[in-house]
Amino acid sequence: MKYQDYYAILGVDRNASDDDIKKAYRKLARKYHPDVSKESGAEEKFKELSQAYETLRDPEKRKAYDELGRHASGDEFRPPPEWQQGFGGGRTSFDDVDLADLFAELRGGARGRGAGGAMPGRDYEARVEITLEQAFHGAEIALDLSEIEVDGDGRVRRVPRTVKVRIPKGVTDGEVLRVKGKGGRGTPGGAPGDLYLDVRVRAHPLFRADGQDLYIDLPLAPWEAVLGTSVELPTPAGKVSLNVPAGARAGQKLRLGGRGLARQGASAGHLYAVVQIVLPAVVDERERAIYQQLASQSTFNPRAHFEREAM
Amino acid sequence: MTTESVHALFVDEDGVVSLAQLTRLSGLSEAELRELVDCGALEPADVAAPSWQFRPDCVAVARIAWRLREEFALEDVHSLAIALRLTQRIDELERQLAALRASN
Repeated sequence: MKYQDYYAILGVDRNASDDDIKKAYRKLARKYHPDVSKESGAEEKFKELSQAYETLRDPEKRKAYDELGRHASGDEFRPPPEWQQGFGGGRTSFDDVDLADLFAELRGGARGRGAGGAMPGRDYEARVEITLEQAFHGAEIALDLSEIEVDGDGRVRRVPRTVKVRIPKGVTDGEVLRVKGKGGRGTPGGAPGDLYLDVRVRAHPLFRADGQDLYIDLPLAPWEAVLGTSVELPTPAGKVSLNVPAGARAGQKLRLGGRGLARQGASAGHLYAVVQIVLPAVVDERERAIYQQLASQSTFNPRAHFEREAM
Repeated sequence: MTTESVHALFVDEDGVVSLAQLTRLSGLSEAELRELVDCGALEPADVAAPSWQFRPDCVAVARIAWRLREEFALEDVHSLAIALRLTQRIDELERQLAALRASN
């Protein structure tokens, strides 16, 4: 297993106080956290930092880490034999896991595990991105997970596992879903953790979602807005015919009740068609003449409020 | 490689999440959640009710708060509430940007 010098990563002395470790971590987290840093490699650097801090902030884990002795980052080393108990005893090798895996598994320190006592597994979190159609209808998506397992020969290794997850219909952007028992494994007698899915619904070229409600822009020609019309409107469930009343104004919302996102057996959100008045990019001579005729006969003043509100 | 099929479930059963459920789902303590409510970062459906109930979208908010607390080693809940608000604002703007890009 490759050694990682967690003290060097955080830029602190080996005998640094807990407070110094926290200060050093905070400073570096502000610099490299992916939410605030656009530096290349920041994500990788932040991952290293959090692994180092996760271990050194916990007195038990720090003690266990210190027991590994001093090595240079990247040096090969073997964990002490008594740690093997933490992974079920017997002849254990740690060849396929890294230091971070090891300390993540050794919650509360190697002794904590060896001393027995059922502990539940950690909860895992994954971000999944789905389309609006998948959110509307529900979907089955494949998630690639990497789990730590101990095989029959006592080897600890990472096992790739694909889990097909059924996403229920009606899930909304930013919602959290739970997959029971798909988190980290617990100690013997402890329940496995859960997997939490942070769901993101990809932006759609036509529909915008706000919770369970959906919005679609409905472009109308000026004469359609004035005279009213019937249009074929796309919805996530297929096309519908929508009657647009005469005198539709730009920005007006036409509600199609219950055609938004809906959970199984629950009331649905609505679909709103938001009126836009659009003009043709080019008008021919005949159309221009009709507009001129309209201009000469209409008494409509679209800027009447300028006079009312002028200073 | 093995493949299995599982169901993802909504975290709320009745359209609401209790304070105890939110504690378990977010990783934050009940005291921290109460402070986040005091700061206005989280809003129960009825703040005057004897036992608080939250809308399901509060789960995502509380989990982000937990992540920020962990990742920036934040301890004071007021700073956490500000970081949370700014993160939500960035998120909102990124979504608007993605929607604008998708419609063009």
